[in-house]
Amino acid sequence: MSTTRKLIEALRERLGQADPLPSPPAIPRIQAPPARVFPTARTRSCYAEQAAAHTAAILGIGHVGTRYATDVVLQFQAELAVAHDAVHTVLPDDWAQSQGLLPLKSRVEDHHQFLLRPDLGRRLDEESLERLRGNAIQDVDIQPILADGLSAVATMGSGIRLLETFSNECRFRGWTVGTPMCAKYARVWLQDEIGETVGARVACILLGERPGLGTGDGLSAYMVYEPRMGKTDSDRNMISNIHARGIVPELAGRQLAMMAGAMLDQKTSGVSLDLSGLTAELGQAASGGYREPQRRVRLVETDR
Amino acid sequence: MILEAIPPTILSVRRIHAAHESVLRSYGADPSKHTSLGLVTCDQDDSTYVALDEATKHAPIDVVFARSFYAGANHASGRLSGEILGVIAGPDPDTVEEGLMALVRCLEHDACFYSADDGATIAVFPHVITSLGYYLSEEAGLQPGDSMAYLVAPPIEATIAFDAAMKAADVRLVRAFTPPTQTNYAAAWLTGILTECQAAAEAYAEAVVEVARRPWDFR
Repeated sequence: MSTTRKLIEALRERLGQADPLPSPPAIPRIQAPPARVFPTARTRSCYAEQAAAHTAAILGIGHVGTRYATDVVLQFQAELAVAHDAVHTVLPDDWAQSQGLLPLKSRVEDHHQFLLRPDLGRRLDEESLERLRGNAIQDVDIQPILADGLSAVATMGSGIRLLETFSNECRFRGWTVGTPMCAKYARVWLQDEIGETVGARVACILLGERPGLGTGDGLSAYMVYEPRMGKTDSDRNMISNIHARGIVPELAGRQLAMMAGAMLDQKTSGVSLDLSGLTAELGQAASGGYREPQRRVRLVETDR
Repeated sequence: MILEAIPPTILSVRRIHAAHESVLRSYGADPSKHTSLGLVTCDQDDSTYVALDEATKHAPIDVVFARSFYAGANHASGRLSGEILGVIAGPDPDTVEEGLMALVRCLEHDACFYSADDGATIAVFPHVITSLGYYLSEEAGLQPGDSMAYLVAPPIEATIAFDAAMKAADVRLVRAFTPPTQTNYAAAWLTGILTECQAAAEAYAEAVVEVARRPWDFR
């Protein structure tokens, strides 16, 4: 190679152009797709419709190509958002007092810990225990406990109504009812310690249930006879789906009172409690049989 | 891509074995010692000047005529005109052929312009002649065997690069061709020892590239 060519090649190397990136290939002009609409023939499946009639689960929603229809996806996302919001809502500290309830708190320090440490949510902290011993009526027949559980939204929504309905039903049946109280950061088994402390014959905790799709306002009620620390789930009876679209609070309060009556009569609770005589009144809570599906609420409206 | 070789295209290479005396005289040859002529046209004049000089080192020929055409190869008068006609003269056709072969070799493998920007819209000729032949040494007023930097670029680039080359190396100006030359370029011939000529040529090429990248820079 000649002197000059070598020289210029070295210079080119020095200027960083010896091995430059190849210039990007020209992007061909992309034709706009033809503006065509592919109407989806809406076919109906009688099997899907029948299945869907028995549940609030997402059944028989059809599909568009390989995906869900847009309104189904939007509905799902909206329902999921409702559930997320409910899980992350915290019961305000002064809410119990503002409602005239005895405020209690479990050993949980904050909401994050509440979600991660169910064990701490099953025990009262020292302050609450003192308050319970000092202010609550002792040796009662029924001790109703309102609590936040996994959905403070539900507690703040229909909790008071359920508590009052249930308490009134119990008083109507001639039982002594404990001081109305509200526990924050509470798990179901907290009723054992509370019921044991106040010496209740039956403890009933009413708390927000784990939110599901579109259902962030559901309450559950768990009841145990002779609450003691160490009672297990087999010792409890419960009614779930207490909300406007499921079992309305007024009905639930009456059913709970009937269940409490059965416990007081039979002096037991849980699997050994015989509710066969109350099947008509208690419905699914007694029999475990067929339950009418709850009605799905449309959160999203789309043009169809 | 910058500083890529732009190879010259040799448009025609011909011989006149026994040229007429009138032709010999008209093109500056001496009928008493020259019989044959070798003619070449090429689309790069400066490459061809260097190649003509190279030819004098390989055969006992004289470069009797070498002129650039106005406005350069892009405005040539014909398909074969290019931007230069070079004529070498020798005592016999074989000598001329030998000279032409050296000339062609030089054009194919050595002397050429280089691109100073992407797309080669600006060309630079930063050529180092290691050892001058009889033709350019006479044109430059130097001795055969001296080193010379033969530097060409478009007007603005050439002016700035000329300055950069003079400052970058221990070289002496032999001849400056201010714009416009016939092909509307500008050139400078610098001499010194070989390594200084190389340094000057390198600085010249770099400066041309720099001007090509930043044509507006005055504040």
